[in-house]
Amino acid sequence: MRYHDPVVRVLVFCSVIWALVGMAAGVYLAAELVWPTLDFGWPALSYGRLRALHTNAVIFGFGVSALMGTAFYSVQRTCHVPLALPRLAWFCAVAWQLGVAAGGASLLAGWTGGKEYAELEWPFDIAIAIVWVSFGVVFFLTIARRAVRPIYVSNWFYGALIIVIAMLHIVNSLAVPVTLSKSYSLFAGAQDAIVQWWYGHNAVGFLLTGGFLGMLYYFLPKQADRPIWSYRLSILAFWAFTYSYIWAGPHHLHYSAIPEWVQSLGMVMSLVLLAPSWATMVNGVMTVAGAWQKLKTDPALKFIVLSLAFYGLATFEGPMMSIRSVNVVSHFTDWTIGHVHSGALGWNAMITFGTFYFLVPRLVGAPLRSVRLANIHFWLALAGTMLYVLAMWGAGVSQGLLWLALDDIGELSFSFKDIMASMAPYYALRLVAGLLFFAGAVLMAANLWWTVRGRRTVAVAPPSVADAASAMRGDA
Amino acid sequence: MTWFVFAGDMLVMLFITVLAVWLFWRSSDEAIAAAARIPLEDEGEAQDDDASR
Repeated sequence: MRYHDPVVRVLVFCSVIWALVGMAAGVYLAAELVWPTLDFGWPALSYGRLRALHTNAVIFGFGVSALMGTAFYSVQRTCHVPLALPRLAWFCAVAWQLGVAAGGASLLAGWTGGKEYAELEWPFDIAIAIVWVSFGVVFFLTIARRAVRPIYVSNWFYGALIIVIAMLHIVNSLAVPVTLSKSYSLFAGAQDAIVQWWYGHNAVGFLLTGGFLGMLYYFLPKQADRPIWSYRLSILAFWAFTYSYIWAGPHHLHYSAIPEWVQSLGMVMSLVLLAPSWATMVNGVMTVAGAWQKLKTDPALKFIVLSLAFYGLATFEGPMMSIRSVNVVSHFTDWTIGHVHSGALGWNAMITFGTFYFLVPRLVGAPLRSVRLANIHFWLALAGTMLYVLAMWGAGVSQGLLWLALDDIGELSFSFKDIMASMAPYYALRLVAGLLFFAGAVLMAANLWWTVRGRRTVAVAPPSVADAASAMRGDA
Repeated sequence: MTWFVFAGDMLVMLFITVLAVWLFWRSSDEAIAAAARIPLEDEGEAQDDDASR
């Protein structure tokens, strides 16, 4: 009996490819904001289409492939059994890649539902639902067949990711198709907005936060070679996170036509979220405490520790931005873009890079080809993220304050055009930041590719029966 | 609606409180420690798989 790892290898490989595609699109978009004629009048290169490709490629291509791969890797190990239904796992892996590729092409062709992070049209929505449910079947059946009694905390987070994203995707995608490439949402007006941001914010919550916390809770102890600092705190944080996140979406709709009490509820629950988020960050940092010396030699651990710092930053900034008096400045400005990327680059991408540097050598049975290159990647990623976030904070706060500025007779002090013209230096800095981050990702892809080329194929078995029996006695 | 949401919130808080009490007083330290060590003890020997191909 061996763990079923070939499907994990394919998912990690595809995730790296999508990272390069999605980040390249992001850098091109940043360049378009500096030189708007870079679309060459070609619709597929227009900002509106390319931006959807960027977000879909990095979230659903890079992010979900990494989450699916690490979920398949860790669930079998934490349950001491191989994957249930490995053929269905292969179906998930392959169908997901085909779906993201075809979906990306449809976005460039101009097919769009017009909902942020849910742009794909109804044929893709149906395909996504089928693959996602299959993912859930493989995952939960593996847990049902487990040889150890406790369900390890990472599986709680991956489980929440699967269940909640299925619920959000299916409800938010309810639509009336009119042609193959066009449908209209079943919801209208303010209800449509509430449903969209219930989906949109919880996609951030349960996919980009919850899913990656599953990754953290499995791979951080592995890399630090220490158990999680407080397992009790991790369980408590999971439930607090799950119950509070689902309410937070309306903070995207402050000062809009939705009821005021819904806006207030979204703000309050966003502030409540600070507690479980920081509990997790403290738990992670304390897990590494005592293993700090490893940071000198282990680039993978370095990435994960840095991701924790950005996780703490982004989960502090988010609740602050949900406060209505702050939101009046930050909303519709580049501050939001800075916030999103402090999470996406600093948290999601960093933890995934760290996990891949740990995982790929183990999956292929060969040491990482170049630790030096990985260290260079680390500094490029850190510099890129910091520069990006600082540029967008500068741009966003300037925009917010300038838009609100009034002259002595109560008229706007600055025109929209003037404010946008003053953004040029910030946007140029953002392009440099994106190039730095992308260059680091290219180095990682090359490093991992060279590592794979030096491989032998390994198969890892679950622990011995005696160990499993010992684990069975646990009753947490 | 506001009262409905308030009641729901209170139920959530009750659940979290009960969970916290259960976690800290009812589960044994040994069981918690064993669960926390799962990722550190989840692999047997890695074998070279090329010979079996």
